[in-house]
Amino acid sequence: MWLSSIFLKTLRDYRVAILGWGIGMGLVVISPMASVAALVTTPQARQQLISLAATFAWNADPVAVDTIGGYATFKIGIFMFLIAIWPLLAGSRMLRGEEDRGSLDVLLSLPRPRLSVALEKLAAMWTALFAMGVLIGLLAFAGGKKFGGDFGLGDALLFGLNLALVCAVIGGLALLISQFTEERGPAAGWTAGLLLVFVVLDMVHRVVPNSEWVSRLSPIYYYNLSKPLVPGYGVNPGAMIVLLAMAAILGGVAVWLFVRRDVGGTVPLPRWLRLPERQTSRALPVGDWSLRSVYTRGLGMIAVPAFWWTLGIAAFAGWMVYVVQLMESKLSALLSGSPTMTNLIKNLGGGDVGVNAGFLSAMFFFLPLFLMAFAVTQVNRWSADEGDGRLELVLATPQSRRAVLLGRFAALATATVAISVITLLASAVAAAAAGLNLDSGHLAAATLGMIPLGLLIAAIGYLASGWMRTAADTGLLSFVLAAWFFISFIGPELKLPDATLRLSAFYYYGTPLLHGLQVTSVLGVLAVAALALGLGTLRFVRKDIGV
Amino acid sequence: MPAIIEVERLTKSYGSKRGIADVSFQVEEGEVFGFLGPNGAGKTTTIRLLMALLHADAGRAQIAGLDCWKQSLEIKRLVGYIPGEPALDPNLTGGQILEYFAHLRGGVDQAYLKQLIQRFELDTSRKFRQYSTGNKRKVVLIQAFMHRPRLLILDEPTSGLDPLNQQEFERMVIEARDEGRTVFLSSHVLSEVEKTCTRVGIIRDGSLVRIGGVSEVSAIKRYEITITFAEPVPAEAFKTLDGVAEVESLNHGHGVRLTMQGSTDAVIKAAALYPVVSLTSHEPSLEDIFLRYYEADGAPVKEPQGVA
Repeated sequence: MWLSSIFLKTLRDYRVAILGWGIGMGLVVISPMASVAALVTTPQARQQLISLAATFAWNADPVAVDTIGGYATFKIGIFMFLIAIWPLLAGSRMLRGEEDRGSLDVLLSLPRPRLSVALEKLAAMWTALFAMGVLIGLLAFAGGKKFGGDFGLGDALLFGLNLALVCAVIGGLALLISQFTEERGPAAGWTAGLLLVFVVLDMVHRVVPNSEWVSRLSPIYYYNLSKPLVPGYGVNPGAMIVLLAMAAILGGVAVWLFVRRDVGGTVPLPRWLRLPERQTSRALPVGDWSLRSVYTRGLGMIAVPAFWWTLGIAAFAGWMVYVVQLMESKLSALLSGSPTMTNLIKNLGGGDVGVNAGFLSAMFFFLPLFLMAFAVTQVNRWSADEGDGRLELVLATPQSRRAVLLGRFAALATATVAISVITLLASAVAAAAAGLNLDSGHLAAATLGMIPLGLLIAAIGYLASGWMRTAADTGLLSFVLAAWFFISFIGPELKLPDATLRLSAFYYYGTPLLHGLQVTSVLGVLAVAALALGLGTLRFVRKDIGV
Repeated sequence: MPAIIEVERLTKSYGSKRGIADVSFQVEEGEVFGFLGPNGAGKTTTIRLLMALLHADAGRAQIAGLDCWKQSLEIKRLVGYIPGEPALDPNLTGGQILEYFAHLRGGVDQAYLKQLIQRFELDTSRKFRQYSTGNKRKVVLIQAFMHRPRLLILDEPTSGLDPLNQQEFERMVIEARDEGRTVFLSSHVLSEVEKTCTRVGIIRDGSLVRIGGVSEVSAIKRYEITITFAEPVPAEAFKTLDGVAEVESLNHGHGVRLTMQGSTDAVIKAAALYPVVSLTSHEPSLEDIFLRYYEADGAPVKEPQGVA
């Protein structure tokens, strides 16, 4: 049945994503619900939470943040990037990815119009997003029931639908952009860039008075107009129709362009929009630094993604350092009035040594998470290179398997170190600009202390790739990362035993911004990483390649 | 001549799937050895075992006296390799790929590399993913030859190449042989094997079924001739002729389809006795030949004349 049409086959391909992403994002929605009750134990604490949320108005509308639904809606603003990842990747991969693999040629050789092929695939993506929306809605409803939310099943499903609609816009945009790019990667990259622009445009009207017309250019603005989980706020049908229309127009234009262009080709951009063609020398040697060894080639491959991740991580750290100084007074009031909030911050890596450093320490807890996510993407690339046969010719040269694996790992380690060092520099510059007095040694420990964790997850990934195919390896690492995060984030509140807390790598990151580097922990993490890498190397040296 | 490749009772299985079983053969230094067999017969498995990409379950494989698994690094210094399904970084240009592999091999003669590029008329400025199938194959061919290896292990090297470039490849193989280098190639193209190889091994269902001189190919090689006549002609007129294996009457006697093995001379002379409208000849695929020639157990259906 699932192979009886392109629509069903595509939907079948999405089945793991529907479940994984739907449940995963549903849990993301539930997570903030769990902490609301503890944050508003007293009227004073409730008032302080509202006051603190207002400070973050640039991020999301702080509407009824002292309620379960309002707080969850507010927090989801931060996770918009996370939620948009799947439609962004699915949209850019839907047609362009199949063209890259050559499988679209075979599909289009069937007696079936191109329009129908493209529409069936688009419909499958929309159906998948709708299914994810339903899952998210059901989980949000369950979360509301569990933690005392005052919204019904219909409200929760409308929340999921609203999320699915904005994701359909992002997916449609990625699909449209992929008609102009030769590969799916740049389409995903441009869409991610535009998503960032949309998020910023949406922020503008909350920061600059009388600038709502600017925010109306962003689909995120229309998403935020509906808040079904907020009691009495409800949905804005007009805004949801605008999102639906945007998704339909973007998808429709993309399909219209697809049926008119060459398969494997691109829609030509107007001359003024085209990038100047790079003149590539036909003469050999090319003289490219990255071609000198497996290590330098690994660096060459990792350079562009590492640049964007560095930008994101360093900007996050710098921004947090800058912002924490600006909201010092409100933070002080909130933390003094809410022991639970103080505990939560403490769980995240904060402490009671000064408000600024404490809150910043909690925010810095996210840095190793981001760095490890970067490492997971690069492990995925290593695993895919083997699975797709790209290591076969390299291994036919007089390079030992050990040297090939360690060369690639060393490139990843170099990028990890570079990201950490640049994050340190960005944080130091931001602290100086904001006039924030941070212990430079502790700041170095907090940023450079991420390195062992990045190496650990990478080494575990290299080890697992000895047995697992790319998707399974990436899935396992993502699960491990999520499990570690939740053990450290929620574990102390759930009174998990210390032995369980020690299972998380974040435990060993500690609170370096407050207490400096825990040398024993760092050495322990490095030792485990070295062990995993050693075992991974042993496995790679002995295994059948590409089987 | 000493053997440069020695394979003895080599066995590899993929769980429940078949691999190869008890494969034994030797390739002498300086010869061009053709490795023939239908799809899934075990050619690529054998080659990947020689290249230490797979670990054998049993048996022994040596190249230049070195163990293929334990001393693979030393072996790879001696070998140029073309995989059956080559995959390379799609974002590198042809030139960048060749330079990268040159570095990994510790440097190559740049003049010779440029000569190879010119011979195949390869545009090295295009990205690998932008190349046609034939041009991708040229990049892989050049990287295999560019360091003048003592042994070339080539898995269906001309797949996707146009006839002109196939001829260029054949010339390069013959040049390599004349320089005393060894070539081990798997192929589906019988004529290519006939032109370039000195000996052949034939593998089927994971077992080596024949090995010997290139005459083995001629022994099993059959081709078809279809002759159309202006008037009915008795099929019996061709049945007993030299080189004719089978005769089929077509179009109420106005034509015959002859399955041939050997010279066409007698058939041409016999056909000339009748008013011929047209005569066409074609070589069946290696698959067809194997299907017809071998029974399921690998034994030949009919032992042709002249087989050693």
